[in-house]
Amino acid sequence: MPSEFTSQKETALFQPEHVRRQFPIFEREVAWLDNAATTQRPERVLRAMDEFNRRHNANTRRSVHRLGAEATAAYEGAREVVARFIGAESPAEVIFTPGTTVGINIVANSLAHGGIGPGDEVWISAQEHHGNWVPWLKATQTLGAHLRIIPLLPDGHLDLARFQEGLAGGRVRWVALTWVSNVLGFENDVRAFCAAAHGAGARVLVDAAQAAAHVPMDVRELDCDFLAFSGHKMYGPMGIGVLWGRAELLAQMEPFILGGEMIGRVEEQAATWAEPPYRFEGGTPNVMGAVGLGEAMGWLENLPAGAHEHVSALAREAAQTLAELPGVRILGPAMERVSLVSFCVDGVHAHDVAQVLDGRGIAVRAGHMCAQPLLRRLGVESAVRASFAPYNTMDEVNALVEGVRAAQELFA
Amino acid sequence: MSEQLYQRIMLEHARNPHGAGKVPRGTEDGEALNSACGDDIRIALQWGADGRLEKMTHELQGCAVSKASASLASQKLAGLTTAEIREVAAGFHARLGQTGFEKEWGDFQMFNGIEKFPARIHCARLVWQAVAQALAKREGGAP
Ligand SMILES: Cc1ncc(COP(=O)(O)O)c(C=O)c1O
Repeated sequence: MPSEFTSQKETALFQPEHVRRQFPIFEREVAWLDNAATTQRPERVLRAMDEFNRRHNANTRRSVHRLGAEATAAYEGAREVVARFIGAESPAEVIFTPGTTVGINIVANSLAHGGIGPGDEVWISAQEHHGNWVPWLKATQTLGAHLRIIPLLPDGHLDLARFQEGLAGGRVRWVALTWVSNVLGFENDVRAFCAAAHGAGARVLVDAAQAAAHVPMDVRELDCDFLAFSGHKMYGPMGIGVLWGRAELLAQMEPFILGGEMIGRVEEQAATWAEPPYRFEGGTPNVMGAVGLGEAMGWLENLPAGAHEHVSALAREAAQTLAELPGVRILGPAMERVSLVSFCVDGVHAHDVAQVLDGRGIAVRAGHMCAQPLLRRLGVESAVRASFAPYNTMDEVNALVEGVRAAQELFA
Repeated sequence: MSEQLYQRIMLEHARNPHGAGKVPRGTEDGEALNSACGDDIRIALQWGADGRLEKMTHELQGCAVSKASASLASQKLAGLTTAEIREVAAGFHARLGQTGFEKEWGDFQMFNGIEKFPARIHCARLVWQAVAQALAKREGGAP
C-alpha cells in the first residue's frame, strides 16, 4: 500500500483527458463549463442505469417476484452506498428525493410540526439559491415566524458574528445554509455555523448541492442536522437526490409527500406512517436514478489523485485571468474557488457573453443563477458563470477568456 | 454562430436604442419580466389627442436582443392607434421565429434565423409583452 501511495503521489500530474474519455457526451465538441447547473455522466453510470432498465426493472418492496426483489436490492444497495459516502450512522437516515429542492421542501414543510410558531426565527444566508430561500420564506410566512438573513461581509463571506448576535436573541429555531454558493464559489465554514446554532438550540440544514461533487462530505464531522444534495450535479442522473437527516429528528418528523410506500396502516378515516426513511418517500421511487447515483459516488471515489485540485486550479486560473481583463468584475475572492467563477462584463449583458461563448462551443450559465437576492446585494443584475469538473482542461479556460475578450470587442 | 445572431444592425440598435429613457417604477403603463434571467422592461406610452401613440419610452435591463427589439418597437409603433398596434403585434408574433420578416418590416429582418437560438426568442418578445399589457390597461380589457 505505501509504495502504491507514493507512486501515485509522484505521478500526481492529473490528466483530464483520461477522465474525459469516460464521458460519451464528449464525442460532441463542447467545452462544458456549466457543471454547476448539471454535470455530465460517465459511461459507468449510464451503463449501470441501462443494466437496471434492461434486466432488473420492477417496482420495489410491493413486489413478491424475483425482479421485484432485485430492484429492491438495487435500491437499498444504493442507499447503503450513499450512507457510506456521506458518513451517515445508518442507511435509514438516507432519504431518496428527486433533488436538493424537494429535500429542502420536505424539511421546511415539517417545521409546522416542529414546534415553530409566531415570533420564532428561521435564519438563512444572503448566499442562498432560490431553492433554499423560498421554501423557508413560505414556511415562515405561513407560521407567523420571521425569516432572517445572515448578511455578507465585504468579501462575500458570511457574517458569523452577526449570526451569533441573532442567536443571542433566543428565538432562532432553524438555520438553512449553503455549503458552497452557486455564485460565489467558495466553501462556507458551515461547521462553525452548526456549532453556533447548536449552542443556541437551533437546528441546521445544509444545502450541499454545490459541494457534493467537490468536497468530501461527512455529516458527522460537519455536525449538521439535515443535508440535501442532487445526483445530477455529481455525475449522476437527474431526478434523484438525497436528504440526510439525524435519525432521532427523522423519527419525530411528519411526512410531506403522502401516498403509497410511506404508510404504516391505512383506515378509511385514519392512517399511520412508515418508519424513516420510507415515511418520506411517498410513491414509486426512482430506482434507476438511485442506481445511477450510487454508481456516480463509486466513480467519484475512484477519481485519480489530483482531480479535485485540478478543478479548483481551473477555477482559480479562470478567476484570475478574467479579473485581469479591463471591464470584467469577478464575484467573490479570486483565489478561493472550489469549482466555479461568476463574473460580469461592463457594457455586455450576461446573455450576450454566453451567446458569443456558445458560438465558440463553450457552454456557460448566464442570468440570475437562481440567486436574485444575492445578486441584488452584490449590485449586479445578472452574471456569467463558468464551472468546472475533472474533465475540463486549461485549454478550455484559455478559450473561455479568449471568448470573453471577443464578446467585449463585438459589443465595444 | 453567435456572430449570425448579432448582425451589425442589431448591435447598432442595441448600442443606441430608440425610445430608451427613464420609466420610474410605478409610473409605467406596461411591464414585462423574463423570470428565466431576471431581465425586465417598463414602458410608458404618450398618446396624442387623435388617439395615436406619440411616443413610447422604455427602461430596460436586458441583453442586446431585447434592447434591439425595444428599439424597433419604439420606431414601428409611433403614430399608430391601439387597433393598429395590435395588428402590428400580431404580425410580429406570427413572424418571429416562424415565417420570418419580409422586406416591408425593414430592420426587423435582423430577427430572421432567431429560431436557431430558441433561448433568445423570449428576449425579442419582452417589449411586446409590455406593450400588450399597456394596451390592455388603456382599453380596460384583457391583453
Ligand atoms: C446551491 C444550490 N442549491 C440548490 C439547488 C437546487 O438543486 P436542484 O435543482 O437539483 O433541486 C442548486 C442547483 O442549481 C444549487 O446550486
